[in-house]
Amino acid sequence: MSVVDTINGLTRPSAGRRTTATRDPFAPRGVAKVLTHLIAAVCALVTMFPLYAMVILSLRRPGAVEFPASLVPWDLSVESFGLIFATPEVWRWMANTLVYALVSVVLILLISAMAGYAFAKRRFRGREVMFWSLVSMLMVPYQVTLIPLFILVARSGGVDTYWGLILPGLANVQAVFLMRQFIMGIPDDLIEAARIDGCGDWRIFARIVLPLCRPILATLGIFVFLWHWNDFLWPLLVGQDPAMRTLTTGIASLQAEQIPLSQVFAGSVVAFVPIFLAYLVGQRYITDNAVAVGIKG
Amino acid sequence: MTTIARRARRGRPLSPGWIGLGFVLPCFLLFLMFRFGPAIAGVLLSFANYTVGGNLEWKGLLNYQRLVADPGFLNALRVTLVYTLISVPLTIVAATGLALLTRRAFRGARLYRSIFFLPVVTSLILAGVVFTWIFSSGGPWSTVLSAFGFPVTDWLESGTFALPAVALVGVWTRFGYGVLIILARLQEVPRELEEAAVVDGAGPWRRFRHVVLPQLRPAVFFLVIIETTFSFQAFDTIYVMTSGGPVDATYSLVFDLYQESFVNFDFGYAGAIGVVLFVLTLVIALIQRATVGRES
Repeated sequence: MSVVDTINGLTRPSAGRRTTATRDPFAPRGVAKVLTHLIAAVCALVTMFPLYAMVILSLRRPGAVEFPASLVPWDLSVESFGLIFATPEVWRWMANTLVYALVSVVLILLISAMAGYAFAKRRFRGREVMFWSLVSMLMVPYQVTLIPLFILVARSGGVDTYWGLILPGLANVQAVFLMRQFIMGIPDDLIEAARIDGCGDWRIFARIVLPLCRPILATLGIFVFLWHWNDFLWPLLVGQDPAMRTLTTGIASLQAEQIPLSQVFAGSVVAFVPIFLAYLVGQRYITDNAVAVGIKG
Repeated sequence: MTTIARRARRGRPLSPGWIGLGFVLPCFLLFLMFRFGPAIAGVLLSFANYTVGGNLEWKGLLNYQRLVADPGFLNALRVTLVYTLISVPLTIVAATGLALLTRRAFRGARLYRSIFFLPVVTSLILAGVVFTWIFSSGGPWSTVLSAFGFPVTDWLESGTFALPAVALVGVWTRFGYGVLIILARLQEVPRELEEAAVVDGAGPWRRFRHVVLPQLRPAVFFLVIIETTFSFQAFDTIYVMTSGGPVDATYSLVFDLYQESFVNFDFGYAGAIGVVLFVLTLVIALIQRATVGRES
């Protein structure tokens, strides 16, 4: 059993919903129920604590995060946010992060959907070899390719450019793999019928396959967005000019510059809010599919 | 692409093979350029020396000979292994425990699960920034420890405790994913199996020990592989929290690779570190394959 089989085995559709839908005879009752709640609540609070601290400390007055810093939510001020937003660079970092994440989402979805369609529904020479050689790249740690990749991009003038930031990440194995798996589930009859009606491949792809792929496109879109929004090492290497930093590399630089902690935390909250909102809105999408999408955070 | 367009315009039916290839082409070209090419180049680079100016000079096994004699690298190897040995078991134990706890459909179970997953979507940089404050002297961590009578120290400035500290942050960022994997597996355990055990007179503990636990094996194996691979790549949190310090106590393999390549510009030598990382990952995967393969 390979890792891929394991992923498949773990991701039967809607596996996450069964027990909640029907009554569970083993659901905790009485003392067991209270205890379960108690332990779970304590663990949840511990889990949330760093994020809570981040938000509260960002609302302290600049320079007031000395120890012991109060984590009680009163005497709050948005002064640190004012200072962060008054920095033109921070706006630039936000714009860079948005460009990086959104352009990557659109292009990765398009490219991997096209490839997924061909791998799932078209026969051509070398199909299997091509597909499995792509998947085999899951085994190669990113860091092995990192140095040649950087030399390649740097020598072609890609440092401090958007294409240098975006282009290398478009080769995304997980995206192609997931698209292929999903499109394989689309009935051949549907595609044959369209072909008989005179549809070419591009129209079949754009008019039939792509609309049917909406759920997987949404899922993949959210994940690609999260990966790029949180990405650090590549933006660190490519964005050498402070104006080409993303929020993650920008915040790391703030932390290193010894500016008041409350401002570093304000910047962190700015970077975290979109992630948090995306998670609130797409929570079920994200948790139900994280098993399939796998690693990377 | 132009020949395809020309043939289409002439109205001659395209051979289906070409169309399929056309759809894969953008993706495959990207892979050739940004994955396959660099992967091969990465391995070749480890046998050479490359300067910023662009000079390539073959070194044979010299980089590797340097590696095995380099105390910095050996330390990085040790740091990475210790990091993994702390974070992976803790992550898996926490994940299994919390998955079992929130397994049943009770009010709030979903909310707990979503809270546990929140750190997974949080950026490692933000986690690093917050935990730097949490671990600093006078911060929450030392306050808790001193309440239990432990001396107050800044863990991140301690040669002994800095590595456990960053490994703990690794646990915080990853256990939610494990909860999800274990839960997904638990949903697959047929309820009839447990009901049958009840009929046979098995209490909760025996039900857990003999029915549920054996079913968790594949998921736990999967997690060991994924989390170990993840731990081998520890970088972001180390970068913001300790920069490899104090005195190289948290100087991990990827941090070493980063330093040698992008700070010291010793690309060939850093390439050799990358290959070591690759081999380690491969070994882990092969072990998994061998053990799981034998079981099924």
